[in-house]
Amino acid sequence: MRSDTNNSARQAKVSRRRAIGVFAATAGLPLMMSVPGVARAAGRNGSLFEWNGTALGASSRMILSHPDREAARRLVVMCRDEIERLERIFSLYRSSSELSRLNRGGRLDAPSHDMVRLLSACRRFGDLSGGAFDVTVQPLWRLYADHFAAHPGDENGPDARALERVRALVDYRGVEVTARRISFARKGMAVTLNGIAQGYITDRVAELLRAEGMDNVLIQLGETHALGGHPQGRAWRLGLTAAAGTHGEGAGHDEATGENVVELRNRALATSAPHGFTFDREGRFHHLIDPDSGNSPQAVAGVSVTAPRAADADALSTALSVMEARRGAQMMERVGDATAWVVLADGGEITLGRARGSKA
Amino acid sequence: MSCEYKRFTCITFLFVACLFCRAIAAPAHADEGAADFFEPRILSRIFPAADGFGPLQGNPPAIAVYRGDKQLGYVFSSRQVVGSTGFSGKPLDIVIGLDLEGKIAGLELREHHEPILVIGIRDADLERHMQQYVGFHVATRVTPVADKRKETAPETAPETVLETATEEAAVDILSGASITTAVVNDVIMRASRAMARSRGILPPLEDDGRGVVDYDRFESKDWSALLREGAIAVLRLYNSDVSQAFAAQGVPAKSIKRMKQQLGEPKGRFIDLYAALATPALIGRNLLGDHLFGRLSSDLEPGAQMILIAGDGRYSFKGTAYVKNIVFDRIQIIQGENTFKFNTGDHRRVESLAVEGAPILRELGLFTLSPGSGFDPAQPWRLEILVVRSYTDAKGKEIEDYAAFTLPYRLPGELIERAAGVEDVAAERASWPLWQHAWADNQGKIVVLSVALLILLSALVFQDSMERRPRFYRFFRLGFLVFTTVWIGWYAGAQLSVINVITFLQSLVTAFSWEFYLLGPLIFILWCFVAVALLFWGRGVYCGWLCPFGALQELLNEVAQKVRVPQINIPFTVQERLWPIKYMLFLGLLGLSFYSMRESVVLSEVEPFKTVFSLNFQRAWPFVAYAVGLLVAGLFIERFFCRYLCPLGAALAVPARVRMFEWLKRRPQCGRECRICAQECTVGAIHPNGQINPNECIYCMHCQVLYYDDHRCPPMISRRERKETYRAAREGENGDDPAREGGHVDAV
Repeated sequence: MRSDTNNSARQAKVSRRRAIGVFAATAGLPLMMSVPGVARAAGRNGSLFEWNGTALGASSRMILSHPDREAARRLVVMCRDEIERLERIFSLYRSSSELSRLNRGGRLDAPSHDMVRLLSACRRFGDLSGGAFDVTVQPLWRLYADHFAAHPGDENGPDARALERVRALVDYRGVEVTARRISFARKGMAVTLNGIAQGYITDRVAELLRAEGMDNVLIQLGETHALGGHPQGRAWRLGLTAAAGTHGEGAGHDEATGENVVELRNRALATSAPHGFTFDREGRFHHLIDPDSGNSPQAVAGVSVTAPRAADADALSTALSVMEARRGAQMMERVGDATAWVVLADGGEITLGRARGSKA
Repeated sequence: MSCEYKRFTCITFLFVACLFCRAIAAPAHADEGAADFFEPRILSRIFPAADGFGPLQGNPPAIAVYRGDKQLGYVFSSRQVVGSTGFSGKPLDIVIGLDLEGKIAGLELREHHEPILVIGIRDADLERHMQQYVGFHVATRVTPVADKRKETAPETAPETVLETATEEAAVDILSGASITTAVVNDVIMRASRAMARSRGILPPLEDDGRGVVDYDRFESKDWSALLREGAIAVLRLYNSDVSQAFAAQGVPAKSIKRMKQQLGEPKGRFIDLYAALATPALIGRNLLGDHLFGRLSSDLEPGAQMILIAGDGRYSFKGTAYVKNIVFDRIQIIQGENTFKFNTGDHRRVESLAVEGAPILRELGLFTLSPGSGFDPAQPWRLEILVVRSYTDAKGKEIEDYAAFTLPYRLPGELIERAAGVEDVAAERASWPLWQHAWADNQGKIVVLSVALLILLSALVFQDSMERRPRFYRFFRLGFLVFTTVWIGWYAGAQLSVINVITFLQSLVTAFSWEFYLLGPLIFILWCFVAVALLFWGRGVYCGWLCPFGALQELLNEVAQKVRVPQINIPFTVQERLWPIKYMLFLGLLGLSFYSMRESVVLSEVEPFKTVFSLNFQRAWPFVAYAVGLLVAGLFIERFFCRYLCPLGAALAVPARVRMFEWLKRRPQCGRECRICAQECTVGAIHPNGQINPNECIYCMHCQVLYYDDHRCPPMISRRERKETYRAAREGENGDDPAREGGHVDAV
């Protein structure tokens, strides 16, 4: 795996309006930090501080470099607040979240800007992926979840008629997004943001830290966003474990070898592992559902995407997990500034897309 | 004899009343121990996130609250924590939740049946008052504020600034109630601090300094100074910023190109967005001007915040959707974990800014955040503006897309008092008992009132000399009445109320405490003076000189008589039958108070004092109509309310029967040969037989001025005439000019 770009062209780009995009770095699978002893290492700009917690149910961490311990603590508190704020909007598991209210009522008045922006982005990625990225798969997920809860170990999955009925509810274009109201075209539709919200939250936290003048931060909130590089001057280095055969995200085999190290500087990385969550023992039914067929595609074992922003990387990796290789490649060409590393179920690896400024 | 008899009846009445009180009050103590607040139901109301609770343990006792394995904080009873070193016995019990950072997580009132504490406050009001403390950090000292916001002490926590002139909170302004809120504040803060210290939460406070906003400080500043100091924050967006933002979001290059064309000149102004916290006077008053700021802040719910947002440029931050959809869809405020959106109910249009040097802005709006919203003005926040753009995508489809820009805001440090700093400054004061704070905070007022009372006292002691000087008397009387109305009534808010009497009577049998009464310095001083004056001269000294409403009626009537408003004379026999009404009202109130203090507080609205003085008539119309009605009646029948309705007057008249001095002089001829005094008595307190009825007399001394008037009082006239004749005779003997003499003689 080639390390991603950290050339001067990219760094120049970063001096854009700080409030807009914060550029981030590269790709990885179950994320293993390959920065030995980082938490205690002192960089040029001061000590490194590490925070561990959870965001959207995933274990999360931030590593930031700051000369003042108290100030670092305050920044972490600020980020924690931001994560909590966004979870109150996007969580599928909190009944009072905006998302839950939308799913319950089929409409949401006075949505937060975050909801409006993220759902707009979802529609954009839906278009971009030709429907492979679709946030309205939630009813299918529900169907599988209910089915396997009732029939654990069943090998056939839910019956075709039920699947067909539910599949009719899946269409991202049925989510009407305006700043004043979000509504569903059909009754019974529901949205899950699990394929993108973590990336969005990661980006928002990165923006916040950038606005506070932080230059060297690694944020891992389900997905990864690197602000600047390591304070020692190099890029942030992330180890990728082989996707094939890995069951469970974060199953910590430290297989980070020279080959599988991704370097990130002002770039984000997102990973989707179809078998990170499966409904059955064989993994025939997993959490990444093809909106088109309603099934769980088996061709891909894992996808990592690097893009300027974690939300983009997140959405692209989710889409690629259920896409056919050729369509996936076309999509990555259209995206432009993103690179995907796809590990196939048969053990093969392909690299798609290119990062702007790189010699892909 | 008959007098002796009356005195006896009166004392017996009081005695029986006291026994009655005791009998009624006793059951209230019986369920003292029933505060089983450790019921999970109550605990989870206070800590909604909790799923596990430990036992009640430790010293002072508290229940540890958990979520999973993680401890969230403690729940404890204020009575158990500070009850022993208590304030006045155990006035009330509040169950308090304290998180591990020292913030109050929740409160619940468990016990408050002691009548002394319920005065003037309904359950809901007290509950609302207490809820202001949720989220409050216990390291900050809190001073109860009895006065309006503009007079609050700088170290006052914003959370306690309740007593602004809104209808609900204004309940607290009344003497009794402001004392109650002081007690509540004290109980909450003392118990929480004691708990925080005992559990190691408080001393090494690792908080990043929660602050208290100084709302009151004011100095005139112009636009550029406010901008420079960060009191107003600004975000300037150019057209190029917008197209770049959408490009960064992954909008295809072709669409971006079209968007750029649409937007025009890249350096053209898209929007200049301004934001400011307008609640502190230093910012709000400067920006909005005295008038508008005053009006808006008095309309503001206590604890609520105002944020001024302004915009200029091609893009509107308000948009148009709010007109139809109620919601402002282009702005949101973010603070910590909270996202705030506004709807039309939170929005006040502002026409223009009053501050010098302000640019002309296309859009201005004032947005309010309610006290329960969780917004903390001392903490930084950010305003986010959503930019909506339409563009055509690759397939030629029209797409509406969104980008957001952030304007960070941090209140200038000079307006924030850090908790720690406040603690230092107030360290010495903090060790004082609560009532001493009240006296120290009101020094100026105490001095003014004391001087005024001394002047009144000397006027009473030397009343004869004053009565002999009618012009001086008139000047003094009018002057004092103006002082009473304006200063005591409107400025100091020290109008006594029948509720004070009832509280006092009840406290005699429940938990009398000097400290409790000392909390309201002006009220306390006035009552002391009234008690002495009552014993010496009767109730008239208060009613006639110190009651703001009485003074107001008299002054208005004075004006009415000047403009010849016809006065209605009520025949004595009718009058005598109207007098008892006020006694019945008083007895009714007293009786009712044993049944329910709350009900009697409601009934005490027969006193229009609150409407007139505490609330300046800013109240629901029936109250205003009632008060105005009484004042209008007073134009035709002087002191209409005092004479027939005032329960406070009645309450004072009863004990005044034991008074010691009869300094209002009478002549044997009074009532027999002459009834001028009886006719002229402004409240009709002189019986046709010439006797002054001390129950009705307001001690205005008008009859005493007449008493010495040798041109109006018949015995005085004849005495003067005798003198004059005698002198004329003497002077005639001495050969003086008799014509000069004639000019002095009035025809009788």
